[in-house]
Amino acid sequence: MTFISDTYYMFLRWMKKLVRNPILLFFSLFQPIIFLLLFTQLFSSFGVLLGVNYTLFATAGIVLQNAFSSAFQSGTAIVDDIKSGFLAKILATPANRASILLGRLLSDAFRVFAQSLIILLLAYGLGVFPATGILGYILILVTVAFFGLAWSGISLALGLRTKSAETVFGIAGTLTFPLLFMSTALMKPALMPTWMQNVSAYNPISFAVNAIRDLIMTGYVWNSFSQAYGVISLIAVLTLGATLYEFRKVVS
Amino acid sequence: MPAVQVENLVKTYGDGTQAVKGISFKVDDGEFFGFLGPNGAGKSTTIKILTTLLRKTSGLANVAGHDIEHDPQKVRKLIGVQMQDTVIDEDLTGRENLILQGHLHQMHREELKERVNTLLKIVDLEDAADKRSAYYSGGMKKRLDLASTLVHRPKILFLDEPTTGLDPQSRATVWSYLKELNQEGITIFITTQYLEEVDRLCRRLAILDHGEIVAQGSPSELKSEIGADRITLGFENGNPEAGALKNKAKQVLSNLGGITEIVDSDEGIVIYAKNGGFLVPDIVRAFDGAGIKLASIGVSSPTLDDVFLKHTGRRIRPEEIDKSRASGMFGRRRR
Ligand SMILES: Nc1ncnc2c1ncn2[C@@H]1O[C@H](COP(=O)(O)OP(=O)(O)OP(=O)(O)O)[C@@H](O)[C@H]1O
Ligand SMILES: [Mg+2]
Repeated sequence: MTFISDTYYMFLRWMKKLVRNPILLFFSLFQPIIFLLLFTQLFSSFGVLLGVNYTLFATAGIVLQNAFSSAFQSGTAIVDDIKSGFLAKILATPANRASILLGRLLSDAFRVFAQSLIILLLAYGLGVFPATGILGYILILVTVAFFGLAWSGISLALGLRTKSAETVFGIAGTLTFPLLFMSTALMKPALMPTWMQNVSAYNPISFAVNAIRDLIMTGYVWNSFSQAYGVISLIAVLTLGATLYEFRKVVS
Repeated sequence: MPAVQVENLVKTYGDGTQAVKGISFKVDDGEFFGFLGPNGAGKSTTIKILTTLLRKTSGLANVAGHDIEHDPQKVRKLIGVQMQDTVIDEDLTGRENLILQGHLHQMHREELKERVNTLLKIVDLEDAADKRSAYYSGGMKKRLDLASTLVHRPKILFLDEPTTGLDPQSRATVWSYLKELNQEGITIFITTQYLEEVDRLCRRLAILDHGEIVAQGSPSELKSEIGADRITLGFENGNPEAGALKNKAKQVLSNLGGITEIVDSDEGIVIYAKNGGFLVPDIVRAFDGAGIKLASIGVSSPTLDDVFLKHTGRRIRPEEIDKSRASGMFGRRRR
């Protein structure tokens, strides 16, 4: 079984590339940090409305926002590999096909993990500390990383299908704010218009946000946690299925 | 058992391009096999199919005794592939590139380490081994790419123009290394524009044109098929009436006996004739009489160049390809 070792070596390759191009780590961080530092201050009066500290409330959403836009780097990376011929070079070896994708996705998960840690540290500077303490930090980071892995699958599939980094970026840019605003990331559903409440209730970002927000503000809430993992798992299965399907077609 | 066996292989791309139109050929185990053809003939397409990177439209292909469609994994374990465009991960060092290849072939750590050191020495990249390959010159990248196909000691090597873009010295080194590999028993399947090397090293070759094999055999067989010497006639450079002059010259030549073929070339005219040496005085005399000035005249026995020209109507010019494709890619070599 070469699955595990192949996955590891592919993961290692991406990690080396990440370390040597640190810009890739900070690329998607810009927006969330602006949100954290400016948006939460600008709208701190929301806190009064919501009856909580707004920075504390929005941190979960901002962490997820980063995971969401960060995930789209995966697709552009695979496009680079297709264009340069490196993917073909790897495909000419007996490397496990699923490992080639999984190695990439795990590196995406790691990147989101590291980025989220940076955001959480900044948030800590603004007085945000999870109600669940250190274990809470770990659970938050793992959950976000899992979310990042699942979402990266979408961008990988898009990259494989369109073979165009611009398209992947375009779609990511178009989706980010609508999906973010129509979720519980920045506002409680009770204060949204009814139609938006309905959308938000089915928005996968909401599920992940709710689980993380509970870890930060409330404590261990089994209900939100299990729902989030259910939804993220479902997304992961769907996007990885789509990715594998597109991947097969690349070799035609 | 043949290393490569292909029967009626067809590849039609999605856009309808018929890149390969039913070719058949065989490469014996341990053979140095040249796969030649003009641009767009379908060479790279064929290599991609044989190396499991591209799905064939129809036909049969066996590589290293395994069907490429039913047993691709077994094929991949036994082959090394160098694509036409240099492919390395530029964020990794030279050594890391080689090690990754070895790992993906499940090589053991210790063996791999040693193997990589040996290869780095062979392709003269020892000094730059731990430098990011983004900073390599074009020639160094190309040599690293070649080395990366050899890490796992493949039985069959598929090389798509491995020496294009290398400076003459590196080129010679690569060719002599390929010769060594072949002597160790590795089958080599190579496309190249360098016909002299093909003549020297390839035991057999096939010429592909417009997706079809137009000739195959050993270099000497193919050359003797031409059955004639080559007489090259050169006219004065930059003559504005070169076209008219050529036509007149051809007219004169057509009245001479013993000529099998008259072909235009950039420098002038090439004639194929039995016992070409004896024809030279006749040509000079006839041209004198017609008032045609010759700048040069030369007789030679046929080369693979002539074979190529005869079967494809085109000439291969590696120098031009080098310049257009690989300007600034000449490898800088120390020592
Ligand atoms: N992906 C593709 N889709 C459609 N047509 C293609 C594709 N790849 C190659 N072709 C076409 O198939 C034909 C054969 O191309 P191929 O690259 O195999 O030629 P080649 O012999 O390697 O040429 P060269 O000496 O220039 O490398 C060409 O007409 C080319 O335009
Ligand atoms: Mg080619």
